[in-house]
Amino acid sequence: MEYKSSGSPVTFVDNLVVPGDVVVDLSSMTNQTIKLGGGLRQDCDAISVMKAGKLRFSKPNKYWVETSQKRYVPCVEDSVLGIVVDSKSDNFLIDIKGPALAFLPVLAFEGGTRRNIPKFEAGTLLYVRVVKANPGMNPELSCTDASGKAAEFGALKDGYMFECSTGLSRMLLSSPTCPVLEALGKKLSFEIAVGLNGRVWVNSNSPSIVIIVANAIMNSESLSGVQQKIMAEKLLQKIQVRALQL
Amino acid sequence: MDGRLANRWRLTVNEKKFIETALASNLRIDGRNPLEYRKIIIKFGREDGSSEVQLGQTHVMGFVTGQLVQPYQDRQNEGMLLIFTEFSPMAGPSFDPGHPGESAVELGRIVDRGLRDSRAVDTESLCVLSGKLVWAIRIDLHIVDNGGNLIDAANIAALAALLTFRRPECTLGGDDGQEVIVHPPEEREPLPLIVHHLPVAITFAFLGSEGKLVVDPTHSEEAVMAGRLIATVNANGDICAIQKAGGEGVPQSAIMHCLQLASMCAISITKKINSAPWDYVFCSKSNFIL
Repeated sequence: MEYKSSGSPVTFVDNLVVPGDVVVDLSSMTNQTIKLGGGLRQDCDAISVMKAGKLRFSKPNKYWVETSQKRYVPCVEDSVLGIVVDSKSDNFLIDIKGPALAFLPVLAFEGGTRRNIPKFEAGTLLYVRVVKANPGMNPELSCTDASGKAAEFGALKDGYMFECSTGLSRMLLSSPTCPVLEALGKKLSFEIAVGLNGRVWVNSNSPSIVIIVANAIMNSESLSGVQQKIMAEKLLQKIQVRALQL
Repeated sequence: MDGRLANRWRLTVNEKKFIETALASNLRIDGRNPLEYRKIIIKFGREDGSSEVQLGQTHVMGFVTGQLVQPYQDRQNEGMLLIFTEFSPMAGPSFDPGHPGESAVELGRIVDRGLRDSRAVDTESLCVLSGKLVWAIRIDLHIVDNGGNLIDAANIAALAALLTFRRPECTLGGDDGQEVIVHPPEEREPLPLIVHHLPVAITFAFLGSEGKLVVDPTHSEEAVMAGRLIATVNANGDICAIQKAGGEGVPQSAIMHCLQLASMCAISITKKINSAPWDYVFCSKSNFIL
C-alpha cells in the first residue's frame, strides 16, 4: 500500500486503520466542518483513530470507523434481537448483549393499554427497537416504530437463533442484498430477522433448511462476496446430491 | 448486579424447541449425525508432557509434571497421580476465577477415576525408594474455551500429555546405596511413563421427552439436555468408569446401547491419540530438520 502525505484523507478511507493512525490533518483543510463518528478523536489539529477497523466517509463531511466485535454498544434507532430475562410491573428486562440489561415498557406495543399487557416468559425472543441509549444508564426499547405501528416488531415464534459478530449483522442488512443470502434465497425459502447486536434468527418449514442457512451464514463471517457465493452454491449442491440419493 | 445479569449466555425458548424438533428428524444444529463426534485436533507444546486438544470449539490444555515426594503410609511402594482442573474465566461467562465449581470438580473426578481405578498408569514403576521417595505425577487441565463436552476433551488432553511426558532417570547410589541421584536430561535420557491402556471418556446426552441420544453434545445441546451419561472405556472394550449424575432416568437398554457405542468410538479415538505425537511432528512442523 502506498503512503501519501498523512494530511490527505483519501488514502485512508475504506482501508483498515489501527489506533494511533492520523487520518485527517485539519491544518491543511480550511474552513471546513467535519463530523466525526465512532472510533475517531480530535487531538488539536489531527484526527486520530481510537478503534481498529475500516475508515468510512460519507458526503459531505462525515467520517467514522466501522468495527466488528462480539459485544454490542446500544445505539438509538437500532433494531436488535432481545431475550426476555424478567418482567416487572412497568417494564420487561431484556438482554440485548450490551453492558446492561435494557428496559421494555409494558405499554410500548401497538395499541398497548394497561388491560392488554402481553405475557412474555423468560427466554422469549423479541425483535425490538432501541429508543434511548445513554452511557451508564439502562437502554430503553420499544416494540413499535417511530410512528407507533407494530411494523414486524414483537415476539418471534419458532425458528432458531444464533449469535455472530456485529460486523456480520451489518453485512447481512446491507443493500444490495448480501451475496450469501442471495445465493441461498434463490433455492431455499426461509425468513430471517437480523439484530444489529449480533443475533440472527432463522425460520423455515423444515429444520434442515434452517440448519443449512444458519451454518452458511456463520461460515460467511470472513469471506468476501465472491467466496460467499461459491460457498453457498457448494453447500446447496451437496444437499441436492444427498436429496437425489435418498 | 445488573452488569452480572447482562453478561450471561441465555437460552431462548425457540432454541430449545428447535433442537428437540430437529433431533426428531435426526438432525443436529451443526449438521452432524446424532452419533457423530466432532473433529479432534491434538497439538503439543515445546516441553514434554504438554498437550492442547480442540474438539470443535472446545479447547483444553493439559500439562503433566513430576516431583519426588514421600509416599502415602498405606502405599509405600506406589507413586501418586494427582489431577487438578482449572476453569479459566475466558472459557465462558459462567466461570469465576478461584474456587472450582461443581462442574470442575466433577470433571476432575471423572478423569481421575478413569485413570486411577483402571490402573492405566503404572504407579509401582514410579517408586524410587520404597517408603521414602516416589514420583508424584501431577496433571493440570486448563479449560480455555467451552464449546460443550469438556469432559471428553479434558480426558483426551490428559492422555496425550501423559503419553508425551518424560521423567528424569533416578538411580540409587551413595555409600549405603540409599542416596537417590536424579540424572539431568543431558546425562541420561528421560524415561516415559508406563501407560498400560488409554481410558477414553465418551459423553452421551439425552434430549427431549423421549430421551433421544446424542454423542458429544455442544454447548447449546448441553443447556437443553435432560440427562447425561459419561462412559470411560478403552480400546480393548473394558469399561473403566461410568458416571450418571442426576438428570432424567434412562432405561437399562439405553445404558447398554451407550456402552456399545462408547466402545466403538473409543477405538477410533485411541488410534488418534496414539498417532497424534507423530502426526504433529512430521505433518505440521514444516521446518523440522531430520
